[in-house]
Amino acid sequence: MASLDAGGIATSGGVRFLGQRRSYWRLLIRGAALLMVTLGIYRFWLATDVRRFLWSNTEIAGEALEYTGTALELLLGFLVAIALLIPVYAGFFLAALHLGILGKLSGIVAFAALAVLGQYAIYRARRYRLTRTIYRGLRFHQKGSAWAYAFRATLWWIVTVLSFGLAYPFQVASLERYKMGNTFYGDLAGSFEAPGLILFLRGFPMWLLFFSPLALAVRGFAGLDWQALADAVAQGGDDVMSKIEGGNPGLGSAIVFAMLMGGASISLAALLYPAFQTVVLRWWSSGLRFGDIEVRSHLRMRHVYGAYARFVGYATLFAIAMAIIGTAALVATGAATNVAKIDTSGQIATTLVLLIGYVITALGFSTIYRATVLLSLWQLGMESLQLSGLSALEKVKAGGRPSSAFGEGLADALNVGGY
Amino acid sequence: MPDGTEGPYPMNSGTGIYFDGITSARHEVVVELAPAGLRISGRDGRLWAEWPYDEIEELAAPDSMLRLGRRESATLERLEIRDPPFAAEIDARAIYVDRTGSLQRRQRMRVIGWSVGATASLVLVAWFGLPAIAARLAPILPASVERKMGDAVDMQVRGMLDTGKSGTRFECGTAAAEMPGRAALDKLVRRLEAAAALPIPLRTNVVRRDEANAIALPGGHVYVFRGLIAKADNADEIAGVIAHEIGHVAHRDGTKAMLEGAGLSFLFGMLLGDFVGGGAVVLAARNVLQSSYSREAEAAADTYGTDLMNRAGGNARALAVILDKTGGATEPGMKILMDHPETKARIASINKLAATRPSLPFLEASEWAALKQICAGS
Repeated sequence: MASLDAGGIATSGGVRFLGQRRSYWRLLIRGAALLMVTLGIYRFWLATDVRRFLWSNTEIAGEALEYTGTALELLLGFLVAIALLIPVYAGFFLAALHLGILGKLSGIVAFAALAVLGQYAIYRARRYRLTRTIYRGLRFHQKGSAWAYAFRATLWWIVTVLSFGLAYPFQVASLERYKMGNTFYGDLAGSFEAPGLILFLRGFPMWLLFFSPLALAVRGFAGLDWQALADAVAQGGDDVMSKIEGGNPGLGSAIVFAMLMGGASISLAALLYPAFQTVVLRWWSSGLRFGDIEVRSHLRMRHVYGAYARFVGYATLFAIAMAIIGTAALVATGAATNVAKIDTSGQIATTLVLLIGYVITALGFSTIYRATVLLSLWQLGMESLQLSGLSALEKVKAGGRPSSAFGEGLADALNVGGY
Repeated sequence: MPDGTEGPYPMNSGTGIYFDGITSARHEVVVELAPAGLRISGRDGRLWAEWPYDEIEELAAPDSMLRLGRRESATLERLEIRDPPFAAEIDARAIYVDRTGSLQRRQRMRVIGWSVGATASLVLVAWFGLPAIAARLAPILPASVERKMGDAVDMQVRGMLDTGKSGTRFECGTAAAEMPGRAALDKLVRRLEAAAALPIPLRTNVVRRDEANAIALPGGHVYVFRGLIAKADNADEIAGVIAHEIGHVAHRDGTKAMLEGAGLSFLFGMLLGDFVGGGAVVLAARNVLQSSYSREAEAAADTYGTDLMNRAGGNARALAVILDKTGGATEPGMKILMDHPETKARIASINKLAATRPSLPFLEASEWAALKQICAGS
């Protein structure tokens, strides 16, 4: 009797996160220590451990996800990517040596080429992660062309930058439509149905809040006598500042005003960022579809702010501890190597202390960030989901093959990696 | 054998969830610990799979569950056991299942061992390998390549050093009032260059920087800062410093440093990846390493410079004199010529090598006066 075997699936269900915060901390701290002694080579193992933890502990409609990727695959993908990038970098290095038009352009060409390559890597890395994601005995997979995605993404980034970010919602919607439209769970095709306009309308007030101080600052400068300013700068001389002052009595206050407004803009951005993230995450989750399966997210903004507050708390404690330990270490090396005459060994000792201090600080903050904000966003994002149409899960058939980790390696080498 | 009805099962069996890897359907199954392997059958008695114990592998799962797969299986068939005592029974029989984690710990220790080894090897390559490669590569680079590298560095160095204040040129010796100074400099450099017989032409300039310093770039660029001219009491002191810089050009130290820099940023930047925004680490590491490269290079350039002064018939001790005058007086980051703790030792070894016979001054008194005014044009 098939119906007994199938066990019966409810048509709607939620997502549970089973992971213990404490185990995740342990995993990350051990990883950070090993990253330090291995100069970062351990990151392939850490990334794999992190994914295994997050995937395994995420239970969708009663069944936990499984991550089957291995660190060796990532290492291999990275080495292949490096082998490909060496000639590319060598080419740019040689081109930069050429004076003339080629040398001048090589920087721009390199930036553009690496930007497109980065998008290509992002798409291929997503394919790797999807094909290593197993649910109910079937894998996810992704079709589509990474180059097509890369050009699409690059064009969208240009539009977004030119529109001061106003096009961002439409960019995300378009790119997600491409990604999800090519995503499959077994033979069940995914799609993305959230319209960019919705995100635009929800995000627009925040955009206004961020840009209005900047607009006011620009207006402050518009009232100046630019001709006089240009003349004063062109004439030069020792009294150039006083000439500028003479031609434009309002310049000083305009600069002060602009700095204040810039500060206001940055503070607003920092304060609004968790709200923005909530809005995007909720909108994005609610647009995900697999066949008849629909997703709704009711992520709460105050929970996201709570995650950031925990980060700020831990980070402050950590910063105080590092400041005390760092000062003590510097005093110790200074005393040991006699500050009075700064010799080379003293310089090297001090540089080493600063270097190690920098690495520990950076790793510490990144560990705290992963254990608070990133883990909470994963957990909150997942637990806020409500799935419907789950009866489709009774009859999905297997499909797709595991892909190589080349994209992950490339993304790693180009520093555009994700989870 | 389970008879397909609800109820107690024999001691050597338990329940689980089975996915056949072909469809996503969830099957509640009875798992029997047969002598050769697991027998997985549905409650209706249908046999789903038989897995030999040595083909069972443990897969990532939440703590509350044992997830099993079959090694080398063409599908992703999965068996989930949520009953800890029964999971322990399977663990005892299947060699690749190890819930105590000792297998995993052993693997992890191997990984750590190998990555520490790889790290050590990278550091050794950076410390010994890169300088050795750069030292062998630099002499065989064609002069044209070296010049191009020099021109590329020149642009960057100018960008860093040239503050562009008050609209004057970075180089001295171009305005009318500076021309005699330029001529005096050319005369001084010609004499040194003739004695040195370099494969590439020197391009020596005095520049508007107030530190008492001088630098040599790849491809024969030598910049003497005007602060050094101000500190010097005679032309031989300037000639000594330029002779030292010619030593760097002859030894291709600038080219070596550039090759080493490229190698270092590649090794630590790209190969190791940016695990925490490691760019700053790369820079700091490079400084630590390169200050140790350049100390030996300085000593060699001193020897070369002293020898060149001897050959050109100048007073080689003048280099020691100006070193003494400026030693330690430069700001951080300007360690190319002066900022070395071993100033005393350097002075001693220069004086030991310096010829004792009477020397011929590089410039007449009037020419020296003109050189002093080489930056006076603006």
